[in-house]
Amino acid sequence: MADLPSGFWAGWIVVITLVSVVALAWLVWSIYFGRDQHEESEVEPVWDNNLAEGHNPPPLWWFWLLFGAMIFSLIYLILFPGLGSNTGLLNWSQGKRVADSYGNFEATFADARAAVVDMDLLQIQGNAALMDTAERIYQRECAVCHGPEGRGQANLFPNLQDAEWQWGGLPEQIEQSLRGGRRANMIAWQSILSAEVIDDVAGYVMTLHEGGDADHPGKPLYEQNCAACHGVGGDGNEMLGASRLSDDIWLYGGDFTTIRETLLYGRTGQMPAFGERLDDFQIKLLVALLAR
Amino acid sequence: MNGLSLHRKIEEHTGLLIFGILFVSSIGGLVQLLPVLTQDSLATASANTRPYTAVELTGRDIYMRENCVVCHSQQVRPLIAEVERYGQYSRAGEFVYDRPFMWGSKRTGPDLHRIGGKYSDEWHRLHLLDPRAVVPTSIMPGYPWLDERLASETGNITSKLTVLRRLGHPYTDEEIANAEADLEGLTEMDALVVYLQMLGTGFSEEDAAMQGGAH
Repeated sequence: MADLPSGFWAGWIVVITLVSVVALAWLVWSIYFGRDQHEESEVEPVWDNNLAEGHNPPPLWWFWLLFGAMIFSLIYLILFPGLGSNTGLLNWSQGKRVADSYGNFEATFADARAAVVDMDLLQIQGNAALMDTAERIYQRECAVCHGPEGRGQANLFPNLQDAEWQWGGLPEQIEQSLRGGRRANMIAWQSILSAEVIDDVAGYVMTLHEGGDADHPGKPLYEQNCAACHGVGGDGNEMLGASRLSDDIWLYGGDFTTIRETLLYGRTGQMPAFGERLDDFQIKLLVALLAR
Repeated sequence: MNGLSLHRKIEEHTGLLIFGILFVSSIGGLVQLLPVLTQDSLATASANTRPYTAVELTGRDIYMRENCVVCHSQQVRPLIAEVERYGQYSRAGEFVYDRPFMWGSKRTGPDLHRIGGKYSDEWHRLHLLDPRAVVPTSIMPGYPWLDERLASETGNITSKLTVLRRLGHPYTDEEIANAEADLEGLTEMDALVVYLQMLGTGFSEEDAAMQGGAH
């Protein structure tokens, strides 16, 4: 164990600890059972005819309590790490305790969890107990951003219950989003387009969910600048995370001011990666829950 | 010589009594603290642990000023339940650049040691301004003023880095010279979010494997 003291300091700890225990044992023992010559040779003072201090030794069970504690500590030091670099007969360590817990956990659940990872999504979705577990993982890991019911929050975190999936709603795409995270990359147009042009584009984008106003002055500008990612008809592109503009579902808000803001300053919404935080079983359950 | 006569002697000589008290009460420190102070393995940084940058250090100072440590610990204990909830349990080598450490002792809110990278920057901003905006049941107070103050006004960053270098943190002359420029234009909120996002990222799998018991 790299973290136990070694060399001189190990000896230092051993010597002081053991000497202390022996010294304490001697002190306690001699106070109870030793003879105090000084006291015996002295006449006990008596005041006011009958007021003497008396000699009241502490109760004997105290002695056994103290002595028992010392014996306990010695046994403890033999079994557990404590005396310098000695790891103890049980070879116990905090890290090993965690590793052992995981060992037990694996031994008990590994097969069942592996079976779930291999299961069909429909099968998982039909299993109430598994979906209950999935729901709890969702509440612990996802609800903080996407809301307890998965309906999105704060005009910033996408609704997971509606039909629109910015990065794709297929199980594989959801799994990819979960494992690797996502980073939206809507650029800021304020340094590229003039304010009037941006107003026109924003106005045209607002008509896209009704098929797009063919006479709108923003239409050619949209096709020139935005269609590369969002598509001519505004159908979006899941590969790029370019959201669909042809439906009336808005992440950041669908009013003119907000769309204008999005165009001016861009958007860089981020989904953190959970590939390291969650294991295959947990990710599979979340995919089953979200792809429902 | 026996216990009682020793006791009598000590009781009758005040100087001896004072010495005895000092001697006995120092034993715990001599055994528990002194060897640890000289133990290199506890003072060696994990492979991925580095000194705080100027911005992170400022964020950390704001974390201290707002007393986040009263409700949030920064230590994942070596128990399977904690490792499952928060991630890898904390290792000594991750805290070598913490002066002082922010381990805390009470969790009114969750532990924050492995919070870095779990949420987006934007989430942290919203959450610090008004925790109820993203977590309806939260009892954490909001910290709206963080967005209104400049990070550069939180103490003198150049002298902070200089002092830390004197204490052994390996800052380069360049880092110290650029410290003020690094903070320029950032609000306290920005600095705090940068600090939160780097929390717990100093963990090293290799070091953990060397110490044994890594999961």
